[in-house]
Amino acid sequence: MSSTSLSRPSDLKGHGFLFEQLVQRELRQKYQGSVLGLLWYLVNPLLLLGAYYLMFGVVLKPGFSHPSYPLFIMTAMVVWLFVQSTLGAAGDSLLSQAALLRKARFPREIIPTAVVTVQAMTFLALLVVVSVLTVAFQGTLGAQLLLLPVVVVLLLAFVQGLALAISALHAHFRDVQPIVGAILVPWFFVTPIFYRPTDITDQELARFALEWLNPVAPFAEAVRTILYDGNVPSASTWLYLALVGAVALVVGAAIFRRLQRDLAVML
Amino acid sequence: MSGGYEQDGVPAGTIELDGATRSFRVQADAGRTLKELVLRSGARRKGIKGPDEVWALRGVDLHIAPGETVAIVGRNGAGKSSTLRVLAGIVPLDGGTVRVGGHVAALLDLAAGFSRDFSGRENIMMGGALYGLTRKQVEDRLEEMVAFSELGEFVDLPLKAYSSGMLVRLAFAIVAFLDADVLLIDEVLAVGDGAFQRKCEERIAAQVAGGSTLVLVSHDLHLIQRTCARTVLLEGGRVAADGPTEEILDRYVALLEGQAAPVRGTDHLAEVAAGTTGPQTRPADDTTSREDDA
Repeated sequence: MSSTSLSRPSDLKGHGFLFEQLVQRELRQKYQGSVLGLLWYLVNPLLLLGAYYLMFGVVLKPGFSHPSYPLFIMTAMVVWLFVQSTLGAAGDSLLSQAALLRKARFPREIIPTAVVTVQAMTFLALLVVVSVLTVAFQGTLGAQLLLLPVVVVLLLAFVQGLALAISALHAHFRDVQPIVGAILVPWFFVTPIFYRPTDITDQELARFALEWLNPVAPFAEAVRTILYDGNVPSASTWLYLALVGAVALVVGAAIFRRLQRDLAVML
Repeated sequence: MSGGYEQDGVPAGTIELDGATRSFRVQADAGRTLKELVLRSGARRKGIKGPDEVWALRGVDLHIAPGETVAIVGRNGAGKSSTLRVLAGIVPLDGGTVRVGGHVAALLDLAAGFSRDFSGRENIMMGGALYGLTRKQVEDRLEEMVAFSELGEFVDLPLKAYSSGMLVRLAFAIVAFLDADVLLIDEVLAVGDGAFQRKCEERIAAQVAGGSTLVLVSHDLHLIQRTCARTVLLEGGRVAADGPTEEILDRYVALLEGQAAPVRGTDHLAEVAAGTTGPQTRPADDTTSREDDA
């Protein structure tokens, strides 16, 4: 009996297969039976990108201009879409897997982490497409591209931390997901995606707020700097990203640990 | 540290529950909202009593050695299922300690963890994963599980197409072939037909012969007599009696028939469980299963 090397529930590493199963389920469940299947994960964001470009690039004609405007939008938009889709999906993650929580003892973090992972896979696929297009059209092939994975890792930490917190909080207070949904709408418009803060304001304070008060803005701008401008993000940007990523992850994990205790009972 | 679920350093198959307490909120609060939270904290400030707490376990001590077969009996609300959930590590304790050695497999409620949109085979993979197996370990056991479940071609159909009997067979097949050191089974065997029940009993017996510990919650006294050497009687969240099955079952039957002397630890919960109509009334659940069995 004990000679079989079944892993202990107490260690996360032993639950690799559970994680894999959850990711697989998450991937398949959503579009099961549909013709495009997994492709929907890419079609949706691409359609969104197209619609936003039409709206803001062609119809509204802003009073500022950037060359290859679709690429300018896309390089920042891809970051936003990842944040938005993950935070939108995080709240329900524990609730929708309540049956699993009641069945066995395993590290509860696996469930929201699987949701983040699925969204991250979409994000990475999209990022590759956007990177290839942008580098080709902007001619930004260079060593700065090596920094892109670093931004991605810090972004993953940031989003994972938020997702952990939201999933556990929503399990306790069912208002959390609607609140997150409501916040995401204005959050999108204050995130510099169709513009750079310098495009729309001369005021120092407003520019500072747009650039730094919204934690998604520096992530989006860092990706755009690397891909679209072909530059290296500033030292203060790096410091900010590292700090935000680390703080979100630590605080999110702490909130999750505190609130996970009675999940099997309360869901 | 109270409430922690300890596994390290506990010999495989050993169960030690000491002074285990656990209460549950009875208020239907599955959908807690901020509004309720605000109202409740307001009420608390004014000194109004919070949501009622019901004690499920109020100091349970239970030591089980590897290879023992133990049944837990008691009236509804006595704490049987809570005890199993605590042993499975799903429900944390408010106080006391729980120490369980080795790998634990629990068959607590049937539909739990199954996804109706996925096939039996896919659910087996998920089931194995839930208990911490690797892909290879599940694949090694897959054919055995499928054969045992007698699902035939149904194993590749989504669970939507299954009868409840098929679901039981699938659920049991998974748990019975995990090679766990501790098997926790809660009143689910009765759902299958007679032939499958016997097969399950044989499989459990084989596991026990191989050194596994069995803890069974059931109202089926004959099943208990056949499978468990030791029985624990719970009353009102406490251990009222613990000993050889024959002895304890006599006492349990007497209790059900309302002839027992007041049992230590009887409280309002036990009264609730027994119904408000007086000691002559048997709890409906217990009566039915015993009659079914006769």
